[in-house]
This record gives sequence, C-alpha cells and structure tokens, in this order.
Amino acid sequence: MSNVTRRQFGTGVVGAGMVAAGLAGPAIAQEPKRGGTLVATWGGGEPQSCYVPSGGGSSPTFSSSKLFERLGNRRMDGAFEGELAESWKAAADFKSYTVTLRKGVKFHDGKEMTSEDVAYSIDQIWKKYAAAAALGEYAGTETPDASTVIVKFNKATPEFFFSSLVSGGVNYILPKHIYAGSDPVTNPANNAPIGTGPWKFKEWVRGSHFEYVKHDAYWRTGFPYLDKLIIRYLRDPASRAAALEAGEIHIGVFNPVAPPDIKRLTGTGKFVATSKGYEESVWSTSFECNTRNPIFQKREVRQAMFMAVDRALIARTVYYGYARPGTSPIFSLNKEFYTADIFRTDFDPKKAAALLDAAGYPKKGDGKRFTVNLLAAGWFTENGKIGSIVKQGLEDVGIGVNLTVPDRPTSIKRIYTDYDFDLAISNQSNPSEPVPATTQYYTSDGIKKGVPFRNASGFHTDEVDALVDKIRIETDPAKRRAMVVEFQKIVTREAPNLPLLELESITMASTKVQNHSNDPDYLAASWYDIWLAS
Amino acid sequence: MAGELSGSSRRHVALRLLRRRLVQALPLMLGVVVINFVLIHLAPGSFLELMTAENQVSDPATVELLRKTYGLTDPLWLQLLKYIWALLHLDFGFSYRQNMPVIDAIAINLPATLLLMISSIALAFAVGVAAGVVASAKVRTLWDSLVSVVAMFFFAAPSFWLGIMMIVLFAVKLGWLPVGGMETIGGGGGIVDILRHLLLPTLALGLFYAAIYARVMRSSMLEVSQLDFVRTARAKGLSRRQVTLHHVLRNALLPVVTILGVQMGTVLGGSVVIESVFSWPGVGSLLFDSVSSRNYPVVLGIMVLGALVVIAANIAVDLVYMWLDPRIEIR
Repeated sequence: MSNVTRRQFGTGVVGAGMVAAGLAGPAIAQEPKRGGTLVATWGGGEPQSCYVPSGGGSSPTFSSSKLFERLGNRRMDGAFEGELAESWKAAADFKSYTVTLRKGVKFHDGKEMTSEDVAYSIDQIWKKYAAAAALGEYAGTETPDASTVIVKFNKATPEFFFSSLVSGGVNYILPKHIYAGSDPVTNPANNAPIGTGPWKFKEWVRGSHFEYVKHDAYWRTGFPYLDKLIIRYLRDPASRAAALEAGEIHIGVFNPVAPPDIKRLTGTGKFVATSKGYEESVWSTSFECNTRNPIFQKREVRQAMFMAVDRALIARTVYYGYARPGTSPIFSLNKEFYTADIFRTDFDPKKAAALLDAAGYPKKGDGKRFTVNLLAAGWFTENGKIGSIVKQGLEDVGIGVNLTVPDRPTSIKRIYTDYDFDLAISNQSNPSEPVPATTQYYTSDGIKKGVPFRNASGFHTDEVDALVDKIRIETDPAKRRAMVVEFQKIVTREAPNLPLLELESITMASTKVQNHSNDPDYLAASWYDIWLAS
Repeated sequence: MAGELSGSSRRHVALRLLRRRLVQALPLMLGVVVINFVLIHLAPGSFLELMTAENQVSDPATVELLRKTYGLTDPLWLQLLKYIWALLHLDFGFSYRQNMPVIDAIAINLPATLLLMISSIALAFAVGVAAGVVASAKVRTLWDSLVSVVAMFFFAAPSFWLGIMMIVLFAVKLGWLPVGGMETIGGGGGIVDILRHLLLPTLALGLFYAAIYARVMRSSMLEVSQLDFVRTARAKGLSRRQVTLHHVLRNALLPVVTILGVQMGTVLGGSVVIESVFSWPGVGSLLFDSVSSRNYPVVLGIMVLGALVVIAANIAVDLVYMWLDPRIEIR
C-alpha cells in the first residue's frame, strides 16, 4: 500500500475499521475458526467460462484461481516462494531452469500431479495461450523424473522474469489426463475445472454463482479452513453494496461498490476497505497517441497532450481520490524497477501551448490548432468521464476534440484492429515484471493488429527495441534495473502512451472475514487460508 | 340447441382466428429475423474479434480458420439465408461464449424470465384492475385521489430506482427479503424460497404496469358505466355490486386486455433492467452479456424467441378479447 493510501486510511477515508478490525490484528489474536461458507463477489460480471486458457480477463481469472494453482507464488514482501514447486534453480548460463515439484499433490479427481502435467501445461497451454507473448524464447521441457522439470530457453532468461512467469497470470498446472488430445479452449472441463487448488468445483448456476467445496486432499495440510466458497455475481454495484450490508456477501474484490458507498459502509464499523492485495496487478488508465497520424509523429505534440490534462483533477473527481496521477509506464509501487527520475509531463497548459507552437501548430483564426478524434474505451464507465476532462484540457490549449465513448467490442476494434483513433483512453494491468507486459506497448513486436492491450500507438524505435531485447536477457539484477530505468526515461520523453492515472483498487470485506488481502494479486490468489470469525 | 350452435360457432370462429393469426405471424417472424440480423451485423465489432482478442489470437491463419468455422466468410445475405434455413429446422446456432448450443443457453435462463414476466403481469393486472375499479366506484373521493397519486408515483418512478429502494428497505433495513438471486445459495430452491426471492423483482417490474392499468381501468369503468345497457341493468333493479361486477367490469376490461398484449414485449425489455438489479438469472442478463460480447447467435435466438412469446401472448389476448366481447364473432 502506498503512503497516499495509508494517509487516506489514517484520516478515516475508509474508516477506522481497517485498523481496528482489518488484516493482521484479529487474525493474529484469534485462532482460525474452521468451517462455514464464505460468499464472495467482485466488481464485474460472470465469466464466459470458469477457466479460459488465455486468461480471458479478470472474471475467469477470479473463478479459476481458486481451483488451479501455479508453480510459484509472490508474497506480499515481494519474495517468491514455491507453491506446486518446492523450488527452481537457474543453470549457470540462465538458459534453463530446473524445477523441483512438490510431492503428494493431488488433483481434485484423486490423480497425482507429476512433471508430465507441468510439461504439458507449459507446452500446450502457457506457450500457446496463457503466456504466449512471454515465451517467445521458450525451447521446450525435459522431465527426467516425476518430480523434476527442466524448462529450457533459447536465450538467457533472468531469474526475476522466470519467477514472475511461474508465479503469475493464469499460468496454472493443468491435469494432462483431462486436457491432452483436446482443444483446450473448448474442453468441457473449462466449465467444471479439475485442479490442485484448495477448492473443488461443485456447481455453476449460470447467472447466479459458483459453488466450491473444500478439497479434502489438499497438499497444505489443515487448509482450507472453510467448508465452502461461493462466488456470487451481482451486476449492479448498488446491489452489491446492499448484499454486503444485508450480510449476504462477506467479501468483494476489485471495486465491488461505488466509491461513495465505501465511506458509508466502513462508517458502520461492520466492514473494512483496503487497497492491499493489488500490488502485482496495478491497473492504470492509459492515454495513447496514434503515431500513424502525422501530427503525433512529433514528440513535442505528444508531450503537450499529457501536459494539457489535469490528472490530479481526474483522480479527485472521477475516482474520489482512489487513484494517483501516473508518471511512468512502470507503476510507482513497483519496488524493483520504478524510478521517479524520468521526463515529467505534469499538468502545465502554458508549456503544452508553447510546445505546440514550437512544433508548428499555432492557433488559427478559429482559435484551434487542429482537431483530433478522442476515443474513450467504454468498458469502464469512468473512462467516459475522463474523456470529458481530457477534452476540456485539450480544448483549453486550442485543440478541437471529437469525443466518442464506444462500448467494449467497438472500442477493441477501433483501438486495436482498425487503429481508428487519434487519442485513446484505455486501460492496462501491469505486473512487476516489465517484459513483455509493459514493454510491449513501446516495441515493434508489440504491434499486433487485432490483439488488444498491445502497442496500438504504432510507436517504435530501434533504440527502444534494442534496449528491451537487452532487458529480456540481462541476468544481473542491478544491470537489468538500470536498463529498465533507462527504458522509462526514453518512453516518458517520447510519450506515445503513458498512464494518466494509477488506479487504486479496493477490496471491501465484512469484519468477520480474516486472512484476506494477503497476496499481492488477491483476486487471482487461491484463498486457501481465508476464514470467517464467529 | 341454440346454445350448442352458438358454442360450436364460437369454437369455429376461434379456430379461424387462430389460423389467421398464425399465418400473419410468419411474415412477422421473418421480419423480426431479417431486421435483427441486419441490425446486429451493422454494429461495429464482431464476436470473432472479441473472441480472438480474449484469447490473444493474432495469427492470421488461425483467425481465417475461425472465420470459416463460424461461416463468416460467406456474404451477409448468404449468412442470413443459412440462418433462416437453420431456424426452420429449429437450429438456433452455437454460442461460442457459453460453449453450447444457443437453445441450451437460452433454455437455462428462460424459465426464470418467464416466471418473472408472468408474475409481474399477473400482479400488474390484479392490482391495476382492482385499483381502477375502486377509483371509479369512489370517483372524486379521497380513494380516487389516492389511487391516482399512487399510480402516478409508480408510473413516474424508474423501475431500477424502485428496485434499489425496495432492496434497501426490505432486504437491508428490515431484513425481510433477500437482496437478489432466485434462491438461497447452498440451501434453497423450495417454492417458498423462490417466492421470497421473486417478490421484490415482481413488484419493481409489475407496479409500473399496474399504474397504467389502474388509470386505463378507471377511465374505462367510468365510460362503460354511462352506457345504455348499464342504465338498463340498474333500472331492472340489480344491485350496484351486481352491475359493477357483471356488466361494467367485463366490458371495461377490454382496453386493459388490449394493452396487456401489446406490452408483453416491453415487459420482456423491462426484465433486462430488473434482472440486473436483482441478479435474477434470466434471459435479460444473458441478452445484456450477449450484446456486450456481440454474441450474435444468442442475441438473435433471444429476439426470435421473444417475438414468439409476444406473438403467442397477443393471440391469447385476441381469444380472451373474443370471450369478453362476443360481438367479435359477428365481425
């Protein structure tokens, strides 16, 4: 949690309940209670499938991450630890990693997990779907015995990269005996998954909820504490707030209620709100310049776009303070790679106007320099509001703006397939490892027509491409950090696509819920240790 | 003898009406299919783009293969003809998103929507008619004003707002009823449990229509009560209650029954909002998701089935109309 967040919590923005009844206090003081049913929800809709091999967005990640597990896990303190793997070790040349698997791990159907399952998952699922962009240099696996897997790469692979790979996203270990020989995308098991996780799938009542029951043969002895986990879907934020208040839901992750309801609910003393549990999945609102438009091929014009927008105003008015102005494509909570020593594009309309004048775009007789099409992706309602503030800011420096807020399919098509925009307000979710999740927005290999959340601005330079190639294979952590710092300096100066805001996601929970928000990507964690106090 | 002939004749007329309506329904259904097919294909973005996006598919060969698999390489008119041909064989297509035939996806959600629609219409009809009768019987009294004010309130209140307010009052503050869903998760499913969950969404959806029916019923009752045959009935010495229930009410129901049939489509539309507020697992939620994901086969399937429901409801209304007003036989 950032200092800003701590201050907000301390000053009662989300209530004293956080401190009094929040995370560590009661959990340490009380013996975990066994049994009971926890009902959870999240700030979105029902997934298209319980598990989607490519991820498919936050909703299927939320539902599948309780059933499947990864080889590793990242702790709140930033350290990596084994989950289905006991450990992993790099070869001297960093071109391969030997993964030692945990013994005695069983799938929900009783079959033991072996190296064959891991090799299948990496070859057929990660490489093709779940981590295709990250595994460009993947060269195959070897399985010398049932509990050892050697993962090979064509080039040296940094340890942080590998650890992030095996601990993140939907890089799960799937049962080979269920998936082999089938199309993983359409396999019926995706709607009733069989994993190794603490929860076993029981039923999916479409339009309503998932019901999971305790996996009795779970490898973490004594876990989970609860008997049942229900994931319930309520489309409307006001309905979620009411369900929390009525005690029908115990916990909601990823902004389950509208910001004004956060204060109201925490004010009752029955709920806590926390921004913990999102450190590995920070969402940002991005502002992208389409460099296919000759106007935006000039760096000064791109810089001016950002300087014309009052990001602090957006954070205050659109997000009620649950956001902070973005500065770098590496989010500010990223302890490994973030630097504040970058080119600043802070709000400064006078400087923006001067840059535009210098770039050869003075105001004409009608008071306008040029007119642009601004597209605010309509998948989050906040984007439309941000679009209005951005429009106002740009008009103040003499830029005419045609603002549109299309729905999700249209936004995806216009931004990532047709490149039909001059400026776009979109969103990104970034883990700590910058390659490729963050770097792909600035490299030529990130330009993939029709694939969303990649390089839509069209920006690329040999300098950035070469630097990212070096970051990809640099195994010395200090040198790698220096390269990522250099990367941030270059792209903030070039400004083809920068975050307007870093969003602060909120989890809202009843004070009865213990051991929650204790993973840096809590929505995607297994929730094996969560419990309900009496 | 005369009665038997009259009954037989009425059945004959009813069957003729039914046949005529079914024949009229065919071009109507064709129109529904063609218009919806064209409209949804005019919307930017396609389900294939969203599917490849969600699955991070960028390989052109894979995209082309998917286009062929889903028949998207054909020109639009041929896709339409193929769709109509499939519909004639009761094949509504396949939903990639739910990974199941469209008819199965709809069948999972349809019972919940039908239950909500029927209960809302029943509530609206019962409350609206009763309120209209009371208002007309007590015209220009406090009761009449009360019915008018209450009806105006429920007519003006947006159903989603009404739904949320009822959740806050009955579920959060009083704790009498559940916030949403169709049954208690992990322990419900009985008739009483479903009825408890059904009550608030039914009220939120039905009270709007009850307000309309109350206003229409009041004016219809007042109009009918001025007609000659009512005066004759009174002159014959029938009690006020007998005149109202047996002579005025039956005839005054005609306009209410007419608008009830017309409004079946809007009730289905209104259920989209109410299902969202109450997390009611019906077709409305499926339709919302399907439009958002450009899931054409499901959207079209719901539209076609929705049209069928409306057509069936209107045929039923015609038959009821005929029963209420025997003069229709002559026409």
